[in-house]
Amino acid sequence: MNIEIEEISKDFGTTAALHPVSLSIPSGTLVALLGPSGSGKTTLLRILGGLEFPTAGRVLFDGADATNLSVQDRRAGFVFQSYALFRHMTVFDNIAYGLRARPRQSRPQSAEIARRVTKLLDLIKLPDIGARYPSQLSGGQRQRVALARALAIEPRMMLLDEPFGALDAKVRRELRQGLRDIHDTTGLTSIFVTHDQEEAMELADLVVVMSMGRIEQVGKPEDIRARPKTEFVREFVSA
Amino acid sequence: MTDTLTIPSRPRAFRPATTEPTVVKGALIALCLAVLTVLLFAPLIAVFEEALRRGWAFALASLSEPDAQSAIWLTLTVAAIVVPLNAAFGIAAAWAITKFDWRGKAWVFTLIDLPFSVSPVVAGLLFVLMFGANSALGAWLVASGFPIVFAVPGIVLATLFITFPFVARELIPVMLEQGRAEEEAALTLGASGWRTFFTVTLPNIRWALLYGVLLCNARAMGEFGAVAVVSGKIRGQTTTMPLMIEMFYNEYLSVAAFTMAGVLALLAFVTLTLKTALEWRYADQLAATHRH
Amino acid sequence: MTARPFTLRNPTPMPGWGLSFGIMVTMLSVIVLVPMGVLLWRGFVGFGAGGMWEVVNRPRVWSALELSFRAALIASLFNLVFGVILAWVLVRYRFPGKRLIDAAVDLPFALPTAVAGIALTAIYAPNGVFGSVIQDTFGIRVAYTELGIWIALIFVGLPFVVRTVQPVIEEIDRETEEASATLGASRLRTVTHVVLPMLAPAALTGFALALARSVGEYGSVIFIAGNLPNVTEIAPLLIVIRLEEFDYDGAVAIAIAMLTISFALLLAINLIQIWSRRRMGAV
Ligand SMILES: Nc1ncnc2c1ncn2[C@@H]1O[C@H](COP(=O)(O)OP(=O)(O)OP(=O)(O)O)[C@@H](O)[C@H]1O
Ligand SMILES: [Mg+2]
Repeated sequence: MNIEIEEISKDFGTTAALHPVSLSIPSGTLVALLGPSGSGKTTLLRILGGLEFPTAGRVLFDGADATNLSVQDRRAGFVFQSYALFRHMTVFDNIAYGLRARPRQSRPQSAEIARRVTKLLDLIKLPDIGARYPSQLSGGQRQRVALARALAIEPRMMLLDEPFGALDAKVRRELRQGLRDIHDTTGLTSIFVTHDQEEAMELADLVVVMSMGRIEQVGKPEDIRARPKTEFVREFVSA
Repeated sequence: MTDTLTIPSRPRAFRPATTEPTVVKGALIALCLAVLTVLLFAPLIAVFEEALRRGWAFALASLSEPDAQSAIWLTLTVAAIVVPLNAAFGIAAAWAITKFDWRGKAWVFTLIDLPFSVSPVVAGLLFVLMFGANSALGAWLVASGFPIVFAVPGIVLATLFITFPFVARELIPVMLEQGRAEEEAALTLGASGWRTFFTVTLPNIRWALLYGVLLCNARAMGEFGAVAVVSGKIRGQTTTMPLMIEMFYNEYLSVAAFTMAGVLALLAFVTLTLKTALEWRYADQLAATHRH
Repeated sequence: MTARPFTLRNPTPMPGWGLSFGIMVTMLSVIVLVPMGVLLWRGFVGFGAGGMWEVVNRPRVWSALELSFRAALIASLFNLVFGVILAWVLVRYRFPGKRLIDAAVDLPFALPTAVAGIALTAIYAPNGVFGSVIQDTFGIRVAYTELGIWIALIFVGLPFVVRTVQPVIEEIDRETEEASATLGASRLRTVTHVVLPMLAPAALTGFALALARSVGEYGSVIFIAGNLPNVTEIAPLLIVIRLEEFDYDGAVAIAIAMLTISFALLLAINLIQIWSRRRMGAV
């Protein structure tokens, strides 16, 4: 699914978190939103996910206006920075949550749900943890469960807010490749937020550099490195 | 606003994913206000309405009756004895529990809470059994001119039982959170034990202590069941304010009963006001997770 | 390690052990433990289990015990549901007078029970403000019936669930609810499947506190109850009546019956808590 962001702006009271930004994301791309703290990355991601409503502008999914689409109907696989796993549910129930929440007509049979959850657990390479509770998992395992839970709803796109933010450097590196692999198998348009330029450059097809609510530059990693458009981008990517 | 023409109309109010529809919100708020009105506010208004049914002068006159006066004095006396004793217990228990590691701590902790789950009437019964004329100890006490049951000491004991956990419950979580480092620092600087307590510990726990004392005092002045059982309800001698309310009420002295009730209700206001003020100003120094 | 001699406490330079421990143990013993011990001794040794059973196993006593526990359960269940709603409204919504309402929730802790008792009776009596309206429209009497007991016990137990649940709601991570929404769950489903299960342990604690309080409640109930034997006579009142008749054994038997049932209930609630906590892992 391709995503079209048209002149989106967002004010929180008097502070402008996003000045009008526009961006076009071709279907199947893995995009990194890169920028320092407070640059508006999370805000943009939340607007795409339907968790925040833009002050002005619109969002198009495959050419159709999705600005007014409710969160529930967007089918965006959202992975939160804190993972936001349901701590009173097992890993299995967490992953099955979205399928069970569907209206009766489109809800799969419970055997089918079990089959899909098992498949997702295999995909994240944690086949044996279905019966555990989130508190019994390591940080890296939680992150992957959050990913599987988001994938379970057969999302139209993946939105990940600092997916590796809470992990130590070693686990981070391992999971990076995992995310790339999953992206390549599912072929979903994916956008992840990061303030680590190395991570963005290594992983993404397209890097969007943001600063103070504006998009500074959009381009392939090598282009951004080779031809930074502004002083800010040059300094940020060479850091 | 011609430039907005290209932007499709959007819903009047975007509802964040973590809120309920306005209708639901309104309904829930209305429900809460309705229940609280019917259950809390209406009875409170009724107290003052009934008290002032025949005017201020009549109501105040009922308070100056000797029986009423002695009830007020007795209630104040009992509170003046019980509250400091309970505060002393609370501080001692909190000190022993939070500053030392010993076996059986959890058990003592549970035992301190025990009076919460004992009926006030049973609390009164305990002291009647121990010190009443039917027991050997009680008979001897009566004979030697120091009766406990149907006298003020019994009221004090029963009230102590009822209010037993109040101060300790407030202090223990606060002192647990504060740890021992500050006291240890004071000791290494050469301060004596008492000096450490008064200059380091007490300033750290004073608001929590006041909070506990406030709740303890409210309960001590208002206790009915336990005191009803141990006091013998001797008019002018062992009748506290809550008991006096019952007596007036049963004698159909409605104004007198509700006036006395009004005085206690005013006291409840003062308690609530101080308590709320403490919660707003010193929330960080109170037992944060256990507010009541 | 095993060679360490038995010590009550670990050595520490902290002063005041003797004094604080002494005061604590002395007062705990004099005020709580010895009196409770005397009650149990009077019951089990003095009077005997058989004798106590005979006292309790009479229709009037059974119906008083039944009434006390039934009314306390009903009132606490009401407070469980309403307390969660009220806590939610107080934490999540903004409306004028909210802070006042929040402070007023503690009124039942501060207001003496006798005051609550006569005040509730005044408005719910057949000639009272609400009592007369309810009687005229529904033909139901509130005061001097079991309904009146429920009202008094709801009043007494009102703050417990609110005050235990409030901090938990404050701590719920917004992202957890948002995650549920992004997975397609309606708001209602999010509340029932995600929010309420997270509040359940605290709500249960509040429920247990309210139950313990209202089972033994006396002051607010006796004014509104009517106190008709076998109908609206609560167990604590029966203890008082036995005492007035100088039937100490009878009073002791009923008291021990009440304590036994109370502790069994609280133990059951505690076990549910432990079980649910273990289910969720070490939270
Ligand atoms: N709910 C809100 N209310 C008010 N201001 C907000 C809100 N959310 C974000 N902001 C503000 O909007 C700006 C952009 O925030 P945003 O969270 O999008 O930044 P970010 O790039 O994700 O930063 P970080 O890397 O720290 O997560 C910041 O100045 C922030 O303070
Ligand atoms: Mg962010």
